[in-house]
Amino acid sequence: MENLLEIKNLKVDFFVNKKLVPVIDGVSFCINKDEVLVLAGESGSGKTLSALSITKILPHNAIITSGSIKFSGSDLLVMDEKQLVDIRGREIAYIFQEPTSYLNPVFTIGDQITEVIMLHQNKNKESAIEEAKELLSLVKIKEPKRVLFDYPHQLSGGMNQRVFLAMALACRPRLLIADEPTTALDVTIEAQILQLLLELKKTMGFSLLFITHNLSIAKRIANRICIMHKGKIVEEGSVEKIFDAPEHFHTRELINAYEKIGKL
Amino acid sequence: MQDKSLKIGIFIIGLFVVMAIFAPIISPYDPSAIDQDGLLMPPSFKHFLGTDTLGRDLFSRIVFGSRISLGIGLVAVGIATLVGLMLGATAGFYGRRVDTVIMRFVDIMLCFPTFYLILAVAAILGPSVFNIMIIVGLTSWMGVARLVRGEILSLKEREFIQAERSIGASNLRIIVRHLIPNAIGPVLVSATLGIGGAILLESGLSFLGLGVQPPTPSWGNILIESKSTLGVAWWITIFPGFAILITILGFNLISEGLKKKMGN
Amino acid sequence: MILEVKNISKYFTIERGVFKAEAGLVKALDGVSFSVNEYDTLGIVGESGSGKTTLAKIIIDLIPATSGEVVFAPELIQDLRKDVQIVFQNPYNSLNPKMRISEILSEPLLIHNIVPKPFIKERTLELLRLVGLDEDVLGRFPIEFSGGQRQRICIARALASQPKFIILDEPISSLDLIIQAQMLDLFFELKQRLKLTYIFVSHNLAVVKHIADSVLVMENGRVVEMGNIDEIFYSPKHPYTKALLDAARS
Repeated sequence: MENLLEIKNLKVDFFVNKKLVPVIDGVSFCINKDEVLVLAGESGSGKTLSALSITKILPHNAIITSGSIKFSGSDLLVMDEKQLVDIRGREIAYIFQEPTSYLNPVFTIGDQITEVIMLHQNKNKESAIEEAKELLSLVKIKEPKRVLFDYPHQLSGGMNQRVFLAMALACRPRLLIADEPTTALDVTIEAQILQLLLELKKTMGFSLLFITHNLSIAKRIANRICIMHKGKIVEEGSVEKIFDAPEHFHTRELINAYEKIGKL
Repeated sequence: MQDKSLKIGIFIIGLFVVMAIFAPIISPYDPSAIDQDGLLMPPSFKHFLGTDTLGRDLFSRIVFGSRISLGIGLVAVGIATLVGLMLGATAGFYGRRVDTVIMRFVDIMLCFPTFYLILAVAAILGPSVFNIMIIVGLTSWMGVARLVRGEILSLKEREFIQAERSIGASNLRIIVRHLIPNAIGPVLVSATLGIGGAILLESGLSFLGLGVQPPTPSWGNILIESKSTLGVAWWITIFPGFAILITILGFNLISEGLKKKMGN
Repeated sequence: MILEVKNISKYFTIERGVFKAEAGLVKALDGVSFSVNEYDTLGIVGESGSGKTTLAKIIIDLIPATSGEVVFAPELIQDLRKDVQIVFQNPYNSLNPKMRISEILSEPLLIHNIVPKPFIKERTLELLRLVGLDEDVLGRFPIEFSGGQRQRICIARALASQPKFIILDEPISSLDLIIQAQMLDLFFELKQRLKLTYIFVSHNLAVVKHIADSVLVMENGRVVEMGNIDEIFYSPKHPYTKALLDAARS
């Protein structure tokens, strides 16, 4: 199988009170083409930070101290900001937990989507609007024409997440990184968004790195799962291996808790 | 960086406070004693900040003046903070009609040009240190009230206040033990800033002859006496002015330091 | 029966402009009725905006209802503020950040005169042991604790006035999974030991199934279905209940 992304021995430190505190402590994993890799772990385990490291959109007090991140052969960590800007959004796109707070409240949905399209694809306004409508129907928003003129606060959380997904997919990225995209949503909406993600993955052919604390989601969508704990990947394997024969102590503890209260 | 501004500020103000407390020990002469030989003497070893138009030692007058000026600053701001805290907390906590009444009163007070109001009241009640403290205090509480009201409005929705109500704590207990301690931070910042303002206000009043009356020295009324001799005796203007400047700088540094400290 | 909720409604009016003209009406709760038996755990399930937290706050009289009645059995509940307690969702927000744990825990003891003053320390230690914390936490501030520990402190505070009835409003949903499981065990143990009655509000069906005896399903301020665990989870009648279960099972 072909490696799309390969992370080796990634270490990230935080500057806290003039001291360096390791937050990610030697993480290695790879994502194959067309794969859904789930990075699962509890809060503070370093999963979000690992994902942000990939295109270096880290908080200002975080520093990558070592490691390599190879994306289809080239190392992202040695690239300069200009090369990275080309990769972000175009090759690797993100969706986050709180779509409403990632969308600018003073612009309409149409403004924000067309901005992304014009930025990356050199299109004029009219064809960008056409493209925006297509993208909105791609993420199964009914009445895309009307939604283009809506502001983020007029839409529900689930709708905003669809809009955000449409923006992320505007440039047909090869890797989509989804950081807890359904955590803020209700269960019925969550199920719809997950369904949509998997469908789009099939039709558009991107790989998916999915970050979650929710093991039942991991079980539902993953090809492979990495369990993170305290800045390290403690266990990696197929859904069956993680759920039926967990080896690491922390994984066992997680699965036990999940068996007890995480599933119906 | 933030420690530094706080430390320098405390050092400066500490110096002035020590000066005010030990004024009789520090000052070489009685502040009202007249040296017959030396009217308007420039700084020398005998009078090292020089003498004023009546031949009184300027250094001793500034040292004793610090008692009055700092006293007015602290007491006036104390009164303003207390009044502002009580009215602001009441308005924020009870809301609705109580809030409307108090906040409209604040608006009315803010509409008056404060300085002329103070002038008028000082003229009616007669100028004295005590009156100045009260007048300045009672005309500068509005900012504190607004600040406290805002803090309380957001704090009272926090769950720990709801939890307090659910265990049966009385309104008074909630306001005094839970709301005010959590709202006091920004008030402290604005109060330290206010002390500088109050000292300046007193100086202005004294300069217009409606402040502290001679022969009691305050920094403001030392300054008035200098206005007729500005051309011949620069030191009478420069040194008290410098004392005011440094004190206000000190309080502003403390305020700045406190603000940054609480930001963390 | 320890609690009877009769036809509770809560409407919020939306005001507009300087003169606060009524611009609309939001029905947060619309004719909710149910009852709770002593020593039972009632689970209240619903998605965000279903009105479950509003309902919890009305029951404990933190906000008034627009109409309807909350009736506690007078022979069991004499003083609402003492005999009924609530634990909130966000333990980061429900402890006064300026107070030491000892002060937080002694507050209800002082207000309700639960024990004479000299015995307050002893009683706070007892409370800490109940929720599985060591006595060295007493002198510390809330910020020094993790979410799970803070929630334990919140529970200790709720237990201080020796309540008979505790409303748990999403008490574990902001915690990590492993901690969630531990907390559920703690709730269960405390219930047995102190003979408590619970209302457990949650959006998580699996958790409710684990702890509740009967379940109330809410949607948009209305009760759509009520029944015991088996009825709700294995033979749901209302389509909304079915949709919730399907979403959680898929």
